[in-house]
Order: sequence, then structure tokens, then C-alpha cells
Amino acid sequence: MQSLLRQVTAWAWLAACCAGVVGCARVEGGSRLVVAVNAGVEGDALKAAAADYQTLTGARMEIIELPYANLFEKAMLDLDSRTGAYDVIMMDDPWFPRLASAGKLTALEPLYRQAGQPGPDDDFVATSLGLCRDPSQGNRLYALPYVGNSQLFFYRRDLFEKYGLAAPKTWTEVREAARRIGAGEGIYGYVMRAAPGNASVTDFMPILWAFGAELLGPDDAPQLDTPEAAAALGFMVEMGKWSPPGYVSFNADEVAAHLLQATAAMSINWPAWVLAMDEPTKSKAVGKIAFAPLPGEKRPGQAAMGNWLLAIPAGSRNAGAAFAFVRWATEPAQMRKAAERGNPPTRRSVFQDADLASRLRAYPVQYQSLSTGRPRPRTVHWNEIENVFGTLISQANAGSVTVAQALVRAQHEISEIRRRNP
Amino acid sequence: MKRQSSLEKFAGPALLAGVAALTLFPVYWLVTMSIKQEVDQFAVPPLWISFRPTLEHYYDIFWVRPFATYFFNSVVVAGVSTVVALAIGTLAAYSLARSPRPGLAFWVLSTRMFPPIVSVIPLLLMLRWAGLLNSRTALIILYTGFNLPFVIWMMRGFFAEIPPDLEEAAMMDGETRLGALWKVLLPVVKPGLAATAAFCLVIAWNEFLFALIMSQTDAGTTLPVGIAGRVTQYEIKWGAMSAAGVVAMLPVFLFASAMQKHLVRGLSLGAVKG
Amino acid sequence: MRRAWLWFAPAMVVLVALSVYPFLYAVDISLRTPSGYGLSNFTRLPTDQFFLVSLWQTLVYTAGALALEFTLGFVLAMLVNREFRGRQVLRSILLIPMLLPPVVVAVIWRLILNPEFGVLNGTLRTLGFDTKGLTWLGAERSAMFSVILVDVWQWTPFMFLLLLAGLQGLPVEPFEAAVVDGASRWQIFRRLTLPMLKPVIAIAVLLRGMDLLRVFDQIFILTQGGPGFATETVTLYIYRTAFRYWNFGYAAAMSFVLLVAITVITRSFLRILRQQPA
Repeated sequence: MQSLLRQVTAWAWLAACCAGVVGCARVEGGSRLVVAVNAGVEGDALKAAAADYQTLTGARMEIIELPYANLFEKAMLDLDSRTGAYDVIMMDDPWFPRLASAGKLTALEPLYRQAGQPGPDDDFVATSLGLCRDPSQGNRLYALPYVGNSQLFFYRRDLFEKYGLAAPKTWTEVREAARRIGAGEGIYGYVMRAAPGNASVTDFMPILWAFGAELLGPDDAPQLDTPEAAAALGFMVEMGKWSPPGYVSFNADEVAAHLLQATAAMSINWPAWVLAMDEPTKSKAVGKIAFAPLPGEKRPGQAAMGNWLLAIPAGSRNAGAAFAFVRWATEPAQMRKAAERGNPPTRRSVFQDADLASRLRAYPVQYQSLSTGRPRPRTVHWNEIENVFGTLISQANAGSVTVAQALVRAQHEISEIRRRNP
Repeated sequence: MKRQSSLEKFAGPALLAGVAALTLFPVYWLVTMSIKQEVDQFAVPPLWISFRPTLEHYYDIFWVRPFATYFFNSVVVAGVSTVVALAIGTLAAYSLARSPRPGLAFWVLSTRMFPPIVSVIPLLLMLRWAGLLNSRTALIILYTGFNLPFVIWMMRGFFAEIPPDLEEAAMMDGETRLGALWKVLLPVVKPGLAATAAFCLVIAWNEFLFALIMSQTDAGTTLPVGIAGRVTQYEIKWGAMSAAGVVAMLPVFLFASAMQKHLVRGLSLGAVKG
Repeated sequence: MRRAWLWFAPAMVVLVALSVYPFLYAVDISLRTPSGYGLSNFTRLPTDQFFLVSLWQTLVYTAGALALEFTLGFVLAMLVNREFRGRQVLRSILLIPMLLPPVVVAVIWRLILNPEFGVLNGTLRTLGFDTKGLTWLGAERSAMFSVILVDVWQWTPFMFLLLLAGLQGLPVEPFEAAVVDGASRWQIFRRLTLPMLKPVIAIAVLLRGMDLLRVFDQIFILTQGGPGFATETVTLYIYRTAFRYWNFGYAAAMSFVLLVAITVITRSFLRILRQQPA
């Protein structure tokens, strides 16, 4: 009997030890603002802003830098089950429909009203602010735009002048310029990124649109079985002839590297790289690169937008304080300060600031691109569609499937995604 | 015959040199990358030994980035989960060794076959329900579970080799069974226990998938996840990544030298005596 | 021993909570569809090209790495199977790769294999070779080979050490008798060494094979399944389906295929083991 007693005591002791250890290891939450940002240039500006905000207001800020590859799942996990781990989430705009769905984010209008304002001011670029509204939920506002990314066409002005070419207005002109400069200079006439998924889709969308094709129709059904779509993908693959070998695995950094090393004459890229092009320590093409709106073809050119939005999870326990920070960070003075740090703004007044515009020569084009830009299709299934479509675009560029095969399969796979999720 | 034996005489040391070089070079390269300045990192031709060393990447990860927190998390998680797994696993192993149930023993081992990617989702939901996401506790519980089958399987083998007379004699002298296990048996199986512990520590130290999914902020992030996080969208922070890699590698290095004999046996689930 | 179950209870609780519950949960969620319970997640499997390709690539990866690691490890073990100076040192060195975090190993090799500025191509260029075609992880045709190479670096020592230990555990007498009977080296290897080593070989191949089928960490860091779809394994595709597409049901259905594959392979190897009088 006594032995049993001692046994039980020993067990209890062991259990207590485990519990104690577990208890000690428990992470304590405090009253501070946790901000999840993309690790990289887009996140850097907000990180710096958060540090300023902490000094200014004494609010405790914790910045969590997550790599692009994991940011979506972290955000989704938090939002889906309202863990309240983050108070502010920075998101890429194509994720917005999914992350905003089913009331996962805090609607911002009530918070504006509490602050005595009817809503966001009209200084925000309309297209950017449009990305922050969810049409499936009464067009309510669930985020504010922070990084005004939208694609620009980068080209070597010096080489264009040398060959008597004007800034390309159409993709046909791009091809002609790539051919002539590529042959004449011994560099790559064009460089694009065709790594599967996000990269290849992002580089292909403006071509697809310009050729008069659409990825998804108004009812989200795929529309890739058209001659326009075939012509667009055929054109992209043809441009591969003037692109560096291995471009089917390129991401944005490799594209930028080719421009910086002056080994390529043209590309589509984000405004985030504009400053680097004129930095002597990084660039061999200082002052030689010009920026233009995206070329058209059958239709006028339109850039794909890639804005980064700030949103407040519905599960945040500090929604009020989070909103105060988000509003502060997106107000004109702060956005101007962020612009000095290289952050592409989302406010007209910042684009039109004479002092900034005199130093940042891409601003007029950047503003034009952003204000006429177009988001990638707004659907909750965008990630899956992008992955499937991007893999097939990449394979078509690699030559492992033909253009026709890639489009037939993409049409089929995307229809299936839609059928599976009625 | 004579030629062959001279070939053999030569083969051993030559292989030793070749294999050792191939094994060590990548590790050496990581270390040099962690103390090279960025301009030297990708110089062509590669800089093998002559470069100006710098500690800037170590400064970066420990002072600018929260790798000290990650390191601390890794230490706590690996340490505590190993202790807990050993405690409850040893008891279970002892019970299995003295009252054998082959079916149960096989079931224990079979839980290890489960691909982690299968169980990560339900476990995530379970921990979320318990409010334990993003905590060291969550990882401690998970790693305890991973290592338990291994502890039970290994320790069962060691206990089975000891005749029951040993603890029975102690119990005649008035010890409880638990007392006998603690005072008499454990000292005998100490080398085996050490090997098992070493193995558990390494598994928990290296684990990536679960730590990746369960972490949300720095408070719940371990070293491997922190290292993976240095691959950003536009560029890879090679210096910081290498420095963090060296930091993650060091404890393992110390281990390998201290416990090498036991580890071979551990790696093979005790099937081979190394 | 009285109350043996009591001693086992805590372990049982943990194991049930962390393996039985997830299993049942996975069964449940895999049967859920947008329109109630059903088998649509399973009927989709054979029609999903991406899944089939990833399954095939998992098998290629497993078989390729296993064959290389086993062959290299065995050859090394046979050559080193005797006392020589520095054997202890060699063993300590060989332990290092397999103890390193897979994440760190992947980082190391990404550094080395980078086609533009990696030390491998850099050295080859310095020696005067043209490395333009050597894209390693960067091209569809060479990526699978490259990820296998990384695994071979990390895990060949495991095969080597296990087989070496096995060789040294063999009794001496049968071999001496065979030499006296005038058997050739090849005959001794075929008739004695291989059969007697079978249990060790089976264990080594089994443990490695199971881990290879479940590979995640290295490929996640090295290529994330790319370029194209070239190194996407089942675990990566499951991960993508669950955490990028947020489709847990289909992810669970796919993981059952993986589980079945692992179970079948384990069982067939255990049969080999049992046939052998230990």
C-alpha cells in the first residue's frame, strides 16, 4: 500500500514538473502592437515607420518580418482562427479577396467614424484604394494601401537613341527593339521572369491584357481558349529568344541584376528597383535607364498592380491602437518620409510633391502606371489559379509543353478549380 | 595477392582523406561565408583563405535580428522536450521490457512512420484550440511526441538486456520499484540513456516543418525557421544565413565529438551496435 | 510486474493525442467536401496531373538517392573494413553531415551550387571550364539531380557507418573456412557477406527510404519545388495545397497515399528482416 502511495506521489511530482516547465515556457502577451510585414524592400519602409512611431508615441511596436513565401499562410492562419497574434498585417493585393473574406478583417469605416472622419480622404490614388474594398461584402473598406507598386517598363534610353528607336508603345515595337539591340550590342534585348507561379504570371498579365485577352471572365470562368490568349503566350515565348538563358527560373531579383549589370536592354519591373538603377555602387547603367508605361498592342497598355496593403485582423485585441498606427503611417507626411526611403507612395500629393519629383525621375510614369493600373483577377482562389497558370506558363517558356497545350491545360485546370468550389 | 594488399594499404588512408575533404569542405565554406564581407562572398575566382574576416553578420543576427531569441527558444524546446520524452519514455520502456507486449511495441514504432505533413494540420488545430500556437510549449509537446517512440524502442532494448533479478534484489531490500529503477537500473543503462538523449536533442534541434507552421512571432520561432526566413523575395541574405547556420551547427558539432559512438547506434534505432 | 499499464499510461496519452487523434482527424477532413461528406477528394487524386507528377518525382528522388547512397556507402564500407590509423577521426567527421539541421545543409548547398557566384562553378571557371550549361538547381533538367546530390552528401555517411558496423559484427569463422576452401573474393562476397549482411542492409535501406519519401526541409529551402515543377515532391505539393490553397481536405487525401506507400514499403522490408534468422 505504501509503495503504491509513493508511486502516486512520484507521479504527481513528475506531472507537476512537466506542468511547471510548460507554464514557464508559456509566452506572455503584452499590450503592444504586433505588425507582420514582408521581409524585403516593401517591409523595410514600414519597419522604419514603426520605429519612428514608437519614439513618437511610446507605443510598443513589434515587427515580425516574414518571408514572402510564408507571409500568406501566417496571415491566413491567424485570420482564419482569430488567434490575435498580429494587430496589423501587410498583404500583397492579390491575397486581399481571400484574406478579407468572411469577416476576417476589421472593417475600417466604423473606426474612421469613431475618429470623427467619414472615411479615407480622396488623396489616395483611386485604383490603390479600390484594392482595399471587398465587393463581396458590400464594398466595405478592409485595408489601406501603403506601397503603391505597379509595373513599369524599364528600357535603356542610350541604346534606344543609338538605334534611332522611340520609347516602345506596343509589344511589336518591343520585339523589334529587342531584336535590333540584341543583335547589334551583343546583350540580351529583353529580360523577363518566368519562374513558375507568381513570377511568370505577373510578367505575363500585361502582355495578355494588351493582346486583348482575359484570364478570367466576369463570372470567374477562364477565358484562355481564345486566339488572343494564344497570340499573347506565343509572343511571350518568342520574346524568350532575346532573354537570357535560364529565364524560366528567374525571379524579380535576377531580372533587376541583368539591368544593373547592363547585360539586358528592357524589362518589366517594379518601382522598388528604380532607385538602384541610378546607384553607382550597384548599377553599371547609371542614368541610362528610362521608365515608360507598359506597352499596348490591340489594347492600350496596362500595368499589373502589386500594392501592399495594411489591414487589421478581426481577432486583434488592439484594433483601435492598430488603426491609429495604420492611419498615421499612411498620412501624407509619413508617406512622404517613406518615399524618401524608396517606398512607392499611394498618395497623389506625394507623387506631385515638387521636391520629390525633381529627385525621383520615375514619378510621373509611376503615377500614370498606378492610376491606370489593373489588379490581377480578384478571386478568393487566386493563389491556386496563379500557381497552376504560372507553372504552365513557365513550362511553355521552357519548351516542355507547346503554347496550345499549356493554354488548353490551364483552361481545364482553372475550370476545375471553379467547379470544385461552387 | 601482394599487389592487392598494398593497394588496400593505400586505399584506406587515401579514402579517408578524400571522403573527409568532401565531407568537410561544405562546412568549411559555410564558416568562411559567415565571416566574409559581402564583396568577397561571391568573388570570382572564389576566395578560399585570403579574405578580410568580419564579424558583421554575427552582429547583424544577434543585435539587429532576433536570433538570440531564436537560439534561446531552440535550446529550451530541444532541452525540455528531451527531458520529458526520456522521463515518460523510460517508464513505458521499462514496463514493456518486463511485461512484453509485442503488438504494443510495434504500434509504438509505427506511430513514427506517420508522415509529419499528415499530422501537422490536425495538431495545428488542436494546439490552436488549446491556445498554444506560437509557443515553446507547443513545440515541447510535439517534439516529446516525436521522440517518445524512439525512446521507448531504444530503452526497451537496454532494459531487456538486464536480468530482472537486479531490481528484485533491491526491492527485497525495501526499495519500491520506482526507487529500484532510479537507483539500480538507470546507472546500468546510463550509456544507452545518454545515446538516446543525444539523439532526441538532435532531432528536436533540427526540426523544421512543425516549427515553421506553429510559429507566428519571434516568441515562437526556432533557429531553423529563423534561418529559412532570411530568404526574402528579392534577395537572400547569405551572410546572415551563413552566420545563423554556423550558430545552429555548433552545438551539433560539440555533440558529434562527445557522443559519436552512441549516436551511430541511435541513428539505426538500436539495430546495430556501433 | 504488477500494474505495468500504469507505467505505460503517460506515454500512451501522449502517443494517442499526437498520432491517433491526428489520424482520425485526417480521415474526417479528407471526406469533407463543399457539399457534405463524400469521396470527391479521393476521386480527384488519379485525375490530378500535378499530384501524379509529384508522386512520380518523389519515387525518382527516393530511388535515386537511395541507390547512390547505398552503393557509395557499401563500397566505402567494404574498403575501410579493417583497422587503420585515423578510423576514429574519420567516423567523427562522417557523423557531422547527418547531424546538421537539414535547413543548414540546404543553405550550404545553395551557396555552393549557385550557377553565377557559387564556389563550384567559380572554381570550375577558374580552372578554365565553360560553366554556362551548369545551372544545377536553376534548370528543370538538372534540378532533380542536384537535390539528390545534396541528400547523397548528407546521408551517404549514414549508410557507410551502418554497413561498416554490420560488417564488423559478422563472425570470422565462415570467412576463414571459405578462404581455406579456396573460394574467390567474389564468391565470398556473393555467398557469405551479402546474405549475412541482409538484416543490416534492410534496416539501413528502410530507415533511409522512409525519410526520403517524407522529404521536406531540404527541398523547401533549395528549390521550393521548382524550377517549373521539377523538384516538387508529394510532401511539398501537400504543403502547397494545404497552406497556399487552403484546401486541407485534399491535402489529407493526398497524405493517405503517401502513408500507404510508406506502410507498404515498410511491411515488405520487415518481411525480409523476419525471414532472416537473426
